[in-house]
Amino acid sequence: MRFRAKIVDLACLNHFSRIINTIAKLAKTCILRLTVCKLYFILSDKVANGGASMWCELSQGNFFDEFQMEGVAAEHNEIYLELVPENLSRALKTAQNAKAVKIKLTNKHCPCLSVAVELPSLSSSSRIVTHDIPVGVIPRRMWNDFREPSVPDFDVSIYLPALKTMKSVVERMKNLSNLIVIEANLSGEMNLKIETDLVAVTTHFKDLGNPPWASEDGCESNTQDRDLESMAEACIDIKKLLQLLAGQQVNPTKALCNIVHKRIVHFILLHEEVSLQYFIPAIA
Amino acid sequence: ILQCFLSLAVFGRAIHAIARISDEFWFDPIEKGLALRSVNSSRSAYACVFFSSMFFQHYCWTAVSQPCQKEKQLSLPCKLIIKSVLPVFRCVNVLERNVERCSISTNPSGHHITFQLLCRHGVVKTYNLTFQDCDPLQAVFAKHMCPNILKVHSRLLADVMIHFPTSQEEITLSVTPMKVCFKSYTEEDTDFSRTMLTEIQLSPEEFDYFQVGVDSEVTFCLKELRGLLAFSEAASVPVSIHFDRCGRPIAFSIEDLLLEASFILATLCEAEKEAATPEPACCPRPWDSSRTCMDKSDQTSMDRARIADTATSKKPQQKGNTPSMVSAKPSNALAKQEVKNIPRGSERDVPGRAGAAMAKFHSLFFGAVSYKEKEAIGDTFQSLVTASDTEEEFGALQSSQVL
Repeated sequence: MRFRAKIVDLACLNHFSRIINTIAKLAKTCILRLTVCKLYFILSDKVANGGASMWCELSQGNFFDEFQMEGVAAEHNEIYLELVPENLSRALKTAQNAKAVKIKLTNKHCPCLSVAVELPSLSSSSRIVTHDIPVGVIPRRMWNDFREPSVPDFDVSIYLPALKTMKSVVERMKNLSNLIVIEANLSGEMNLKIETDLVAVTTHFKDLGNPPWASEDGCESNTQDRDLESMAEACIDIKKLLQLLAGQQVNPTKALCNIVHKRIVHFILLHEEVSLQYFIPAIA
Repeated sequence: ILQCFLSLAVFGRAIHAIARISDEFWFDPIEKGLALRSVNSSRSAYACVFFSSMFFQHYCWTAVSQPCQKEKQLSLPCKLIIKSVLPVFRCVNVLERNVERCSISTNPSGHHITFQLLCRHGVVKTYNLTFQDCDPLQAVFAKHMCPNILKVHSRLLADVMIHFPTSQEEITLSVTPMKVCFKSYTEEDTDFSRTMLTEIQLSPEEFDYFQVGVDSEVTFCLKELRGLLAFSEAASVPVSIHFDRCGRPIAFSIEDLLLEASFILATLCEAEKEAATPEPACCPRPWDSSRTCMDKSDQTSMDRARIADTATSKKPQQKGNTPSMVSAKPSNALAKQEVKNIPRGSERDVPGRAGAAMAKFHSLFFGAVSYKEKEAIGDTFQSLVTASDTEEEFGALQSSQVL
């Protein structure tokens, strides 16, 4: 199993760092899956994670100037690593003006991702900062645990309001309640509601727009016959929602959520080269 | 009796830097200036900031009358609790804007040191702080005898330290004539599968002055150093690093016309690892307590209690320091060098231990200096603040530093 990659372009490096920062806010530990073309950051929906799960996918070609990997075996040319994204985030944090960043899978005291940052210096030779991030190698027999989640059979799909606005609303609601209800309909309306013994607060968003989903095989989706005004709702942990909103460092090109009534909320955030999906289950 | 006015920002930052070392510090005015000193509870870090009288807009110090007077006199120097002083200099940036003048004064009859801030709009803040009489502590460390000397702008050091997490306790500085490397330090029993390790390599060319007489790897406490780094960045002065092999102290110092600051930190010694009792030490444990020769003073009894504690506690990596191990050490030769610097006063106090102490000497030596010893000590006392490798105005201090 080998892996080495290099980033030379500063813009790519900054973009990559921002993605890692977002991942670090969502998961304490996650899986990094490496294939020839893509990188995936995966958080599976185990109870330990509070039931939330994440799937983030990026094309390596958009970030790395060099990318070589050799998986566990020829037919399974992939590598699954368990790591703490916060470590990676920290390693990249001080690489803002690096000449180059090299990432390599090594085995010193234990399997590590070695991040070597080459920084400019006043002298002729560069300064080199090396961070050894310990990783766990996931054996092939467990790879099935980390398959891409399918888009659920949702009742309503709606574009999200400006994330910054949504974040400031949810931040204030967090002080009042641990749970938040997201409800939306096919007329582009979304409400965020909290209710406690003392107070109930609702924030209304209008004219958000509903994304068109092409139905497969021509069969009708759940939403075809749905009443446009009827709201689908789910009550979720407000902290999980805030983690998602607070972690966004750049405005996504597209941000939408799919609500399965009283079951789960599925968020999809798309940037040019990155897609992030986050699932928050509803609390009964 | 002391009265002085000063420019706040730098003074405030010095207090903050010293606060990283300990909860209390020695406030020690002398004719030539004001010294602030601090040592941490495990005696593994010592800080001293000396402001020359020229640093102050107005500095007036008059000698204390003889202690035989009936009236209780303020006998300087004294010890202050940092927590009570910090609020005075809390937000240095704000201070600069709002405070027009700050004065520090003592008076013979009071039991206070008074810090008075004259602020804008006629607001006057007066802080009366109580203190403890004590004899000052001074580290004896012959900087000029260190084989390895690096001098670098504080900006570079800050740029290096920024790569380490703020929770990083200790780091290792490793030098050869070809390269310099700072890396995170982990104890032997660290769980590597959970710890992220960071290493920074620099070329000697980045240093303003680079002298490596002996390849060495020294490990010291980063947390305590951060105070000095912040201070030197604010003062924008180059930092000099003097050190030797592992186990010997490392000194970080800055100096310019108006002030001098030194932080001396003990380093871990890993050469001797005979049956080391691993202890999750935050910072390197102190050397043998018998080395800390204290003169008779109020402070001594308190410190003796502390010393007794450390003597009986487990001593991890610095094996050479336990009283039971008086084996010949390679550092013996160096130890003898240091012994020369022991003030005669303290040798008198602990005659029996001086010989044994030589074999065990590892790092830092503290001597208490009291007014009573003034005549006896004379010029043999080398103070940290006046290392003889620096040759500017403070050369004159060498003789007057004796207290």
